[in-house]
Amino acid sequence: MSRSYACIISSEAKRDSQILTAVARQFAYSIEMIEDGILFDVSGLERLIGNPEQVANKIVAELKRKNVPGSVAVAETLNTATLLARQKSGQEQAVHSPDQFHQLPLRDLDIERDTLNVFNDLGIRSVEDLLAVPRSDLIGRYGQGFENVINTIEQKSTSILTPNVKENQVSWNYDLEASVENFEQLTFVLNHGLGQLFEQVEHCGFSTEHLDILFKLKNKTEKAYEVKTSFPTLERTFWLKLINLRASLDPPEAEIMSVNIIAYFARPRASQRGLYAVSRPEPESLLLTANKLKKLVGEDNVGTPVLLDQRLSQPFALDGDKLPTGRESLDAARVDPIIAFSYFNPPLGAEVLVRDGRLVFIKTKFFSGHVIEYSGVWKANSKWWETSWKTQEWDVEVENNGVYRLCKVNKEWFLAGEYD
Amino acid sequence: MSKNLHLSLVRSLSSLQEEKEYIDEILLDHIGLSLKRGTIVEIVGEASSGKTSVPLSLLSKLTKTGEICALVDGGNSFDPCTAFLAGVELDNLFWIKCGGSLEKAFLASDYLVQAKGFGAIWLNLNGLSEHQLRMVPKTYWYRYRNRIKETPTVLLVTATEHITGSASHRSLLFSRERTEWSGNGRFKLLRQFHISLLSQKGVYGKPLQTKIKMDYTDV
Repeated sequence: MSRSYACIISSEAKRDSQILTAVARQFAYSIEMIEDGILFDVSGLERLIGNPEQVANKIVAELKRKNVPGSVAVAETLNTATLLARQKSGQEQAVHSPDQFHQLPLRDLDIERDTLNVFNDLGIRSVEDLLAVPRSDLIGRYGQGFENVINTIEQKSTSILTPNVKENQVSWNYDLEASVENFEQLTFVLNHGLGQLFEQVEHCGFSTEHLDILFKLKNKTEKAYEVKTSFPTLERTFWLKLINLRASLDPPEAEIMSVNIIAYFARPRASQRGLYAVSRPEPESLLLTANKLKKLVGEDNVGTPVLLDQRLSQPFALDGDKLPTGRESLDAARVDPIIAFSYFNPPLGAEVLVRDGRLVFIKTKFFSGHVIEYSGVWKANSKWWETSWKTQEWDVEVENNGVYRLCKVNKEWFLAGEYD
Repeated sequence: MSKNLHLSLVRSLSSLQEEKEYIDEILLDHIGLSLKRGTIVEIVGEASSGKTSVPLSLLSKLTKTGEICALVDGGNSFDPCTAFLAGVELDNLFWIKCGGSLEKAFLASDYLVQAKGFGAIWLNLNGLSEHQLRMVPKTYWYRYRNRIKETPTVLLVTATEHITGSASHRSLLFSRERTEWSGNGRFKLLRQFHISLLSQKGVYGKPLQTKIKMDYTDV
């Protein structure tokens, strides 16, 4: 079965590359961008459209519709199609028939200048003239390297199409007949849309870990959500739950008129784990749980702890965007337990009796007692270069009670936490 | 006919699912404890009794091997610096701050238990009102127990008094025997706690004695 290839050569190929790709995509999946145009495989279209000339005319019609300049040729080999399309016609959009190939001047072929001059002196100026020379004579005179030129003029070139245009997203759009006030009412529509979208993603051999959702609202504004996961998945119910949770955290301000979803491609996830891998929550389950928890306790209260390299009273933070990774550490686990510290939130106000410069007695609203032992005073402050030293700290053991961190700031005493 | 009807009312034994349980136990050698997976373990103690130190040892052991653990921080009392010193891999720890809300702490635990697959869930109820804790229905604990019994999760609960009732597999009472300080006069440093640990459920015996040291390493 013969193949056919189409070539569009455009003087504005770089500027119009997106449009040329869009035109090519209407006819083929295999597309190769070249420096001055685009090549694509149109094999099989003869049944749908007709002979190569009709296919070329259809492509030109598309170019005219999009108002893009370009000359088009359809031929059985890539080289033939490219050589034909590169012919200048003087028109903004032109079709070059395969019948014109024999009239092509030799200067368009990949032939050395000296050889061209010799051919010119001999009166060989077109492809047709060169085809009249016996193949063996040409190879005997110019060597095996000339075989490529002969193959090109005989339309037997074996060069193949190398697809280099990759899609990285698919989208789905839906205009609602009547505006919807509550986001949850959209679940059915979204479910349907995600189904279609993921079918397309799967068809291209990909998965997704990033969706962009855009709602057009009745008050003529737009509401956008960017939903990302740390792993690719096409599980519709999971994405639907995630979108629901995200929208419930920050609902649209007005009624929804239309929905647009873009799914970005990602490599599918390898599903097999190691035989001895430790048990972990499924990534989908972990992400959904994190979002449920964010809804429950607030977005800033769920995440992983991060230590800060600063001299602060609480030198740590909670990273709400980061989920536990489950990475194995190469360091051995610490064997011996250490004394932990627990913060009082808020700090516990205290009255402290100081006698002869020594801490003697502590009274709080929950307990009171004599100070048995203490260490300090430690001076601590955050950003000491901005403010003066203000915080003084002691570790104190209170009779019949615990061991605490006692602090004094501006004559105010309080317990920051407990050693436990 | 009546015989068939009679037989249809009796479910065949093959339809009954055999209850699976994790035989795997987590050993905390230095303290002399072993915690069974798929169970609730309760740690109770007064101030500075070492009840926070044991969960950190457990989290350290599990997170180092790549297990993901969760901390439901009832009273926002967690200090990641001492957790880091205790060897906890902070990247593998899921921290939920409940800001003193008992209801949120219990709901958060419920979500985590449902998610399944966590190595340990530490429900830290230190700093929450004892009065409120006593009001928590016992059914919560049975719900958690049923949810985790076929999973590898240890649900560790720390509080100042017993609250889990018979739902917990082990209940450990911590108390501080004495505190060791080094140095003289005004130049002293807190060195270690001498801890007594009494198992009140599961494994009975004499109280275990252990020491918990202070680590002054700068993080």
